[in-house]
Amino acid sequence: MSSRRAATAAAAALLVGGCDARVDRLPDWSGQWENVGATPSPDGGFYESLEQVLKELEWSPPLKPDSQAAIDRVVEIQRKAMAAMRDGIDPGGAVTACTFGFPTIMLESPLMFEILPTPKETALIFSSREIRHVYTDGREHPPEGDVWPTPWGDSVGRWEGDTLVIDTVAVKSAFPGRAGSAVIAFGGIEESQMIAFLSADAHFVERIRMLDNGLLENRMTITDPANLTGPWQMTRTYRRETHIDRMVHEDCEGEERNPIVDGKFTLTPPP
Amino acid sequence: MRMSPAPTRASIAIVALVTTSAALAHHSFAMFDQSTTVTLEGAVKEFRWTNPHVFIEMLVKNESGAEEQWSIEMTSPEHLARAGWRPATLKPGDAITLSIHPMREGIKGGQYLSGIGPNGPLVGSRFAPPEPAR
Repeated sequence: MSSRRAATAAAAALLVGGCDARVDRLPDWSGQWENVGATPSPDGGFYESLEQVLKELEWSPPLKPDSQAAIDRVVEIQRKAMAAMRDGIDPGGAVTACTFGFPTIMLESPLMFEILPTPKETALIFSSREIRHVYTDGREHPPEGDVWPTPWGDSVGRWEGDTLVIDTVAVKSAFPGRAGSAVIAFGGIEESQMIAFLSADAHFVERIRMLDNGLLENRMTITDPANLTGPWQMTRTYRRETHIDRMVHEDCEGEERNPIVDGKFTLTPPP
Repeated sequence: MRMSPAPTRASIAIVALVTTSAALAHHSFAMFDQSTTVTLEGAVKEFRWTNPHVFIEMLVKNESGAEEQWSIEMTSPEHLARAGWRPATLKPGDAITLSIHPMREGIKGGQYLSGIGPNGPLVGSRFAPPEPAR
């Protein structure tokens, strides 16, 4: 085969399902990205108050009355837990996790991530070493009976020009003991909340594109008939990292020096 | 060592579910007294660039002139690197002034808030640098 014919064959092989998905037409989303508004500071807290974060998160799910009542009950319990935590008491509800799962990891995660578009699949790789696989080769979700809920769900996608449209189903909470997939809002210290109520039948559609100012925009629509009266829409933006040019991983299993002793977190000397 | 009141934090309207923790949800920072801010002046003994959290081990002279070791906890290397920190940002012997929330239980440790190193204010803090003692 001549080099020209080989190149033609290679290019043809990259055309996927009739979609405009050649390598040279994929957008350049290289680098590391962080969620605007969920950027941690060296003290371990976040620059914005939780109130501001929730405002930016467009926290207004169209809840069904039963769902609202269930959340209200838990809110009362958690208010007491937050007060106890501020007094230095471990209320037994603290989450220890390096896994965020979807949709939290896109909505309110302090993790940086990379996006690797290829013609047949786009991978989103996070510093927690979580990976979202978005298949863009024209396939559909697996049929019922062949798919089960996971913290990251099952994602298929397509390119509409330079916009990546991701369709995700079969999501469950990444947090042990929490029912439903979660949305987390961070703010200050001891002001973060985990909002976990979406059912495993929830359906997520994301539209990710680059804005003129260089930010990536993610417009997410969630439908969940078990809990919501209609679609819940949120928009988040991501910006490129400027102080680092490669991935740095998190590791929850590292040198942990904050054990719980007599019901309270403490600090141990260096090993 | 000087102690000063912490900035007042606005009360937060709780919208829904579960308080968890600071940083990467590694754990709560409830062991640090968020209502008290302490300024420490001393020298770096070791800058421990470790997961899940980084520590500044520093030597501080107490009122009798004896050196005491303090462990000052920061966030993760991933978060610090993004803010411009590196493992060599602080070296043993560096003179530093740190602003911290101290441990509640009297242990010589605290939560990092801001600091001044050999080359000026340390990067990335949301708090003003501490003012050195006169």
